[in-house]
Amino acid sequence: MADNMSAWVAGSDRPEKQVVRIGFLPLSDCGSLIMASLLGFDEKFGIKIALSKEASWASVRDKLGNGELDAAHVLYGLMYGVQMGIGSQARDMAVLMNLNHNGQAVTLSSSLAQQGAVDGASLAGVIRKAPRPYTFAHTFPTGTHAMYLHYWLAAHGIDPLREVRMVTVPPPQMVDNLRAGRMDGYCVGEPWGMKAVHDAIGVTAATTQEIWPDHPGKVLGTTADFVAHYPNTCRALIAAVLEAGRWLDASMENKQKMLETISQPHYVKTRQVWEEQHGLQFYNSGAVNFPYLSDGMWFMTQHRRWGLLKDDPDYLAVASKVNRIKLYRQAAEMTATPLPPGVLRSSTLIDGVVWDGSAPERYAASFAIRK
Amino acid sequence: MPSRAPLSKPVHKLRIVVVNTITAAGHEMDASLQAQAQRGAALRIGLLEAGYDIIASLPADIYLPERIAQLQPDMIIIDAESDARDVLEHIVIATRDERRPIVMFTEDAATSSMDAAMAAGVSAYIVAGLQAERIQPVLNVALARFKQEQKLLAELSDTKHKLAERKVIERAKGLLMAHHHLSEEQAYQRLRSMAMNKKLKLAEIAQRILDVEDLLGN
Repeated sequence: MADNMSAWVAGSDRPEKQVVRIGFLPLSDCGSLIMASLLGFDEKFGIKIALSKEASWASVRDKLGNGELDAAHVLYGLMYGVQMGIGSQARDMAVLMNLNHNGQAVTLSSSLAQQGAVDGASLAGVIRKAPRPYTFAHTFPTGTHAMYLHYWLAAHGIDPLREVRMVTVPPPQMVDNLRAGRMDGYCVGEPWGMKAVHDAIGVTAATTQEIWPDHPGKVLGTTADFVAHYPNTCRALIAAVLEAGRWLDASMENKQKMLETISQPHYVKTRQVWEEQHGLQFYNSGAVNFPYLSDGMWFMTQHRRWGLLKDDPDYLAVASKVNRIKLYRQAAEMTATPLPPGVLRSSTLIDGVVWDGSAPERYAASFAIRK
Repeated sequence: MPSRAPLSKPVHKLRIVVVNTITAAGHEMDASLQAQAQRGAALRIGLLEAGYDIIASLPADIYLPERIAQLQPDMIIIDAESDARDVLEHIVIATRDERRPIVMFTEDAATSSMDAAMAAGVSAYIVAGLQAERIQPVLNVALARFKQEQKLLAELSDTKHKLAERKVIERAKGLLMAHHHLSEEQAYQRLRSMAMNKKLKLAEIAQRILDVEDLLGN
């Protein structure tokens, strides 16, 4: 095994760039990335991950663009937003791997819960009975939480564009805003959902895996340019994170150790326990990490649904360009990570609608509630 | 110490909104928040010294989009390292058909990051510690650049619009030709006289013909 590894590292596959600067936002789902760096999985593949804590997704996007960051823990939807030029100049991006499944939630305020709104259906009832501009927050307009929150509201007959007011709030400010009564609910990654529950100011109305079981989350993202210049570095990076994910899956002790580590001030800065991570997964024998084209396409179908994309793109062509399946497969082989048979997967979302990557234009146009 | 060059008046009285980092009471501020707050204060002083009109200094809270919509500033300035960047992103996307220039300020003088941010839609970068008299040319360049970009975008959408109009006219002509057994030239003349009679643009009358066709479902 060790010999195999050094062969990878020493041969023509030697990483072109050894020190890789990677941005992350303080959220539980950056766990495998941080452990890949701290436990030395990176060095095993001939690279050194230099972690950089970032304050905003907009800044992650800009720094990927200007090369201040080589890669980042980033929202899946944001990568496709930049690829399609939503809100910024279009730039060719690359998704190297998916980093996590699940681990996010929709939280409603305790005062809404007292009026009976504790899940999607009862929320719809309360909104109908007492109409006012209900305010809900997500983390970035094209991002994962925005798309899951929109989907969840619409699945319960609530029109997210017309019936509620939607705002963007940085994750660490969610709880304070809910406490101050400035908003009625939000969708965000842990620990910011459970924090509201612990502080007794909110209830969990839905976990994101109720919206889409084993949904994609953050990705390891970079630019197409970086992949073109440093393919071996990218492959090594994927391999290191896969191994870290496998280490996390190996035992509860490892998961707790990761949570303790990322609870430190220079990472996420909040104490957490594994039982409250809402089905967060980092590896699951590689099932988490494969950059399925259907996952990438889904975000574009939702961008189209909500009018962020004004026309239908060539969904499959764009996803095939952005998601780096070839590099991922090579890294999976290096780490003996099982590979799925195809590049699409079939999922049934909360409204019972199946998404399997086929007929994306029709899927995007099929929803009753849309822009 | 050399005497300071007299500040020329800003060519245009810009209405500027500065977005501030939230420093919630009762929370210990970490070093980066503290640095942001200091940069913000220095920038506001610099702008005022340079004769700019800061119409508001807003906290980056959930009311920011409404406040910006009310104030309609000529320019928004925000710290590049602020977590409120994502709140502003919301505004950028929600108002992408009526964009306004956004200027960042930062401590990072690396030109590469300025180029990338400007490519991403930021109009200019102000580096922290910049002298008051240097702010003015930076903002003037930012505004000029933004206006130029908007002009190009407007021209592009105008061209697209004209192209779309031509398509509508072609389809309406096709319908007239089929229904009334007209030649292309006759169909065009029919359209033109209908447009003149109704005092509508050619594309408008063409669209009505298509709408009626849709309604009757032929």
